[in-house]
Amino acid sequence: MSTTVIGAPAVPRAPASPINILNNGTAKLYTHLHPILVLSLYAYRWPSIVADPVPALTSALVPLSILQIAYVAICLPPTGGTASTVPQADKRKPGEKKKAAPSKVESGINGTIIPAFLSLLLSSLAAAPLLTATLVLFGAPMTTHHTHTVLCGAHIALLSFLPLVYVHGVDGTTWREVVALLLPIDEVYGGMIGSVFGAWCGAVPIPLDWDREWQKWPITIVTGAYVGYAVGKLLGGTLLKGKKIMFE
Amino acid sequence: MDNGEPLPSFEGIAAAFAKAKAEKEKQEAQGLKPTTGDAAKANKAGEVHFKAAHGIIIAFFTWILVLHALGIYLFTSGFLLTRLVLDHTSECSVPPIDSARSYEYGSAETGCWHPKSFEKAIVILVDALRYDFTVPFPAATANETTHHFHNAFPVLYETAVNHPDNAFLLPFIADAPTATLQRLKGLTTGTLPTFLDAGSSFSGTAIDEDNLISQLHNASKRVVQLGDDTWQALFPGHFEPNLTRPYDSFNVWDLHTVDNGVTDHVFPLMHPSNTSTWDVLIGHYLGVDHAGHRYGPDHPAMNAKLNQMDGIIRKMIDQLDDDTLLVVMGDHGMDTKGDHGGESDDEIQAALWMYSKQKKFGRSSPDYITPPATAHERPVAQIDLVPTLSLLLGMPIPFNNLGKPIEEAFIGAEGEDYENLAIVNRLTGAQIHRYQNEYALARGVDDSTRANSLALWSAANAAWQMVTSQGHYRSIYGAFSAYQQETLRVCRDLWARFDVLRMLNGVTILAFSLAILAVYARGLEGDRSELTPVLLMYGGVGTILGAIGGFGVAIALPELARDHVLVVAAAVGAVFGAFAGYWYIRRRMTSPFPTTIWGWMSVVFTLLLSIGFAANSFTIWEDEILLCFLTTFGVVATLSSFRQKTMADRALGCYHSILFVLLTRVASLARLCREEQMPYCKSTYYASANSSTSATWQIAIPYVVAFLLPIFIRGYYDGTLSYQGSAVMWLGFALRSGLTLCAIYWTLDAADDGDWYPGLTDWLKTSKIVCAQVTFAIALAFGYSTFNWSKPFLNIENQLTNAANPSSQVVADGGRTSITILGYANVHGSRYALLITIWYLAIALVQKPMGAGAMAILTWQIFSLLEIIDTNKLSDSPIGPIVLGLLGSFHFFKTGHQATLSAIQYETAFIPLRTIRYPWSPLLILLNTFGAQILCAVAVPALVLWKQPPRKKGLLGDVAKAVATHVLFYAVVGLATTMWAGHLRRHLMLYRIFCPRFMMGGLVLVVVDLVCVFVAVGGTRISFLSVAEVFGFTG
Repeated sequence: MSTTVIGAPAVPRAPASPINILNNGTAKLYTHLHPILVLSLYAYRWPSIVADPVPALTSALVPLSILQIAYVAICLPPTGGTASTVPQADKRKPGEKKKAAPSKVESGINGTIIPAFLSLLLSSLAAAPLLTATLVLFGAPMTTHHTHTVLCGAHIALLSFLPLVYVHGVDGTTWREVVALLLPIDEVYGGMIGSVFGAWCGAVPIPLDWDREWQKWPITIVTGAYVGYAVGKLLGGTLLKGKKIMFE
Repeated sequence: MDNGEPLPSFEGIAAAFAKAKAEKEKQEAQGLKPTTGDAAKANKAGEVHFKAAHGIIIAFFTWILVLHALGIYLFTSGFLLTRLVLDHTSECSVPPIDSARSYEYGSAETGCWHPKSFEKAIVILVDALRYDFTVPFPAATANETTHHFHNAFPVLYETAVNHPDNAFLLPFIADAPTATLQRLKGLTTGTLPTFLDAGSSFSGTAIDEDNLISQLHNASKRVVQLGDDTWQALFPGHFEPNLTRPYDSFNVWDLHTVDNGVTDHVFPLMHPSNTSTWDVLIGHYLGVDHAGHRYGPDHPAMNAKLNQMDGIIRKMIDQLDDDTLLVVMGDHGMDTKGDHGGESDDEIQAALWMYSKQKKFGRSSPDYITPPATAHERPVAQIDLVPTLSLLLGMPIPFNNLGKPIEEAFIGAEGEDYENLAIVNRLTGAQIHRYQNEYALARGVDDSTRANSLALWSAANAAWQMVTSQGHYRSIYGAFSAYQQETLRVCRDLWARFDVLRMLNGVTILAFSLAILAVYARGLEGDRSELTPVLLMYGGVGTILGAIGGFGVAIALPELARDHVLVVAAAVGAVFGAFAGYWYIRRRMTSPFPTTIWGWMSVVFTLLLSIGFAANSFTIWEDEILLCFLTTFGVVATLSSFRQKTMADRALGCYHSILFVLLTRVASLARLCREEQMPYCKSTYYASANSSTSATWQIAIPYVVAFLLPIFIRGYYDGTLSYQGSAVMWLGFALRSGLTLCAIYWTLDAADDGDWYPGLTDWLKTSKIVCAQVTFAIALAFGYSTFNWSKPFLNIENQLTNAANPSSQVVADGGRTSITILGYANVHGSRYALLITIWYLAIALVQKPMGAGAMAILTWQIFSLLEIIDTNKLSDSPIGPIVLGLLGSFHFFKTGHQATLSAIQYETAFIPLRTIRYPWSPLLILLNTFGAQILCAVAVPALVLWKQPPRKKGLLGDVAKAVATHVLFYAVVGLATTMWAGHLRRHLMLYRIFCPRFMMGGLVLVVVDLVCVFVAVGGTRISFLSVAEVFGFTG
């Protein structure tokens, strides 16, 4: 997906640095509140998801999207932007005519809400199908339960990839590093790795002969992804921040 | 130091020297400079050195194999159940208890212990006659449809309903294992099978316990046997030699020879002029069983077979005389695919039907006149036949019998002769009591386990003493029956008695040999070929000393079991020897624990799988777990490929990783579900879930494979221009011809199976066997000759300059032209990988069409894996050999196998042969069953040889390391399944799940050991010598 720049190693890129959350009180508060809200939402929907996964997971997508958009808009710097550290004014070109400062609401919408919605669009159009295909490769039923699998993919995509798209945009080189696990860990990247790993672990109880309703496809996977997301985000933002994943 | 400036210090000089040495070695490794010294002499010395080192590595792995075999042997001898066989026999004149109704016992003419009911008997055994074949299919619900096996054999049911005084039909429950040999033992001795007997199914051994046949023989009754020759092996010399007609029983593809033989001989014997020549006639039909094995129950052939049986039984009823009892029964059932061996409901539920022209049979309730609709209602055990038949024919009950007389046969036509029922149950109970006393004396059973049954025995006898009324007899019958039931229960528990000490010692040996192997595989630095001699010497000397010590102990203490002492002593010696060896080379030891993500993945995959075998669910779903692990590896390999620095590595790595994942998923579509996976699994391996023949479209798979796979493999050779020399001949021509012959074989087989050309049956049989034999000749004879004698796949090309190719080596610049060695970049890999394709061809032949597709995918995946390992520079990592282990285990399931006895495809023994031939038939079945694991084991050395420089040092040691890691995977799985089987020995699912998985784990470990030693490591000798002929030996 990123082969365009591979052949040109001449210009060394600045090593990627971990994403910091915006430097304001609301962001710092909400970033800790967010996983609690997400998990609470999931816990609240749990009985109906167990009862009938398809409608429950479908309807859970809306509040999840809202929460994720709120999270990225409140806490994270949008792609390319260094909004947290550089004041808006400094970005103007020297000779530029001083415009009337855009209203706070307007700049908020331009700078955060629209990228957030774009990330929602991208993660549901690109990441969700890719994740669904991956799920099938891992052994999800190929001929039945298509809606279940798609919904599972969509939930993981919204949890893990929406914030990632928001902070990294669509830059090919960065995404190669994302896929190659080369980025330093931060709470966004940690959340993504955590939710994917959690989804993997979620497969463990499926074969057990406990005859529980919640062992149905894909409940354990989605649950694993939610829990993994919260844990990964927490660890990525604190203990493991800035660390790099080493294969060797 | 990197900029080349020497540092003015000792360290600097040493570093410069090291660097120069490394440079020189690198150049030598590439073959750029001749080695210093007298080249020819050095080369000769190198060859001797290589051969010695290679031989020592072979010996070392053989030693590991011996350790594995010792551990498995010891565990098995304690785990597979044993029962003490008493050689007491019942005697006509010695009843177990005083006679009732002042009956004059002791005369075989009137009945030994009890008045006999019949003079003669005809026992017809319809092999694999499942109970639901004999009762009408209700078709009550709309979503159920009749199958071919339904309503095809109605005579038994009709007579039982229409003439309840003359006939009855009951479910007849077998004890596992449901193999014919075991069943015949149960049906004639009345004892429970022990698991150890299961192993002797291939070669019947004579029964030395008291049994019905020898009782008849001793009473000078003339017993005639027709059909299945297993009886001859079990009861040699017991049958009338000039009337008996045994037929070969193992050719499961032949539906008619045995049956026609029985029918041709049974009716003349039933003719009034001949009835005086025999007393008991046993006819054993095999057609139903063979139709099941070959086609599955839901097939027109089964319908035809059952119809034929129906007609035969009707004819027998017509011709039967008044004094003769006619018994028709199945020895076991069959599962949905027509196989048997385990203890699923379908396999144990057979049918029993008795018929007589006299009104001798009754029911205890009018409701019972209609035979049970399912086998869950009013079933009788198969051992119950023994006392029933003995008493009906006036024979003594065999000494070791545990069954009870069948109610319907003794209750009288009115259904109220409880006195008779009480008498026969008292007799049977008394015989069981006598047997139990003798057994307790011989084996030392403590009274506490028998307390219950002894109390029941006293109570029943006390009741007998004060007989008052007919109603009273009913309760006496109940009391003796309760005693029999309780004794049977105790015996089931008792004969599930394990020798825990042997099991523990076996597990300990496996665990220590695992530790030795783990250190060898992952805990040593540097070249293993240098270290192996020391280890082998210490280990070997230790083993021999231990064995000698064990021999001494065995002589000094003769009360100990000699094999146990010897095995333990040899293993203890081996372990101490190995630890001494490791102590000697302790400076070369490193931590065997993983340090990279790949190492961790290897450990996690192996351990998770092994831990999972403790749970029946994870054992059942092993195939899906392996799919998940393999996909995980493929995905991580894709991520890792994105991290590679060079564009070529990145692109190749991604391509092959994604290909690997996709191929895994495609292969996963081939499934043969085990019973426990239902209803979450849909079998695709055969035409339908109830069949064991391939669908017509599946016949096309081998043709597609024959066309495409050689092209794909060639692609992997083309990448390094290694498609040269004999590779062209083998891959381009021989392999493709062989695969085409495989495809033709399976087409002919389908034509033969489906009777497409009824006139050509013989021709089809002959030509398909010829096809198979030629394919084997191509694979093993021609293939191995090619592998043995071909030169490395190189070619020299003169070409204009500026055509430098990364995969070729420019040797000398001659101005405008240069000489290029084509195929240089992968000399070792391409040369060795030929062996993979040779074994692939041999294995592909013995797989069904769907399996041929799976094996082709496996081969393709192996080559992809080689590329993944190379582009990600993982040849030193444990992940390659571990993934091969996962792949082998995964494709075991994808070639139509499961870890159950009934999934063994016995019919593969007949692919290149017409009859059973030792040792070829078992070998063919092994090649079919473990084909995937064998192929993967053959591929292991290629992991470390693929695209390595021809003169790289320590390649042999790398091969040893990779092979050890591969064996380590199976050793961990083997140890885990052994441990769990031992630990869960009282588990409900032991025989169904844990025991078969343990047997598979142990067998796979030994098979992989053998293949690794003699095929894989053995093969590297040939390929190394061949490469060295061109490039010389490295020091």
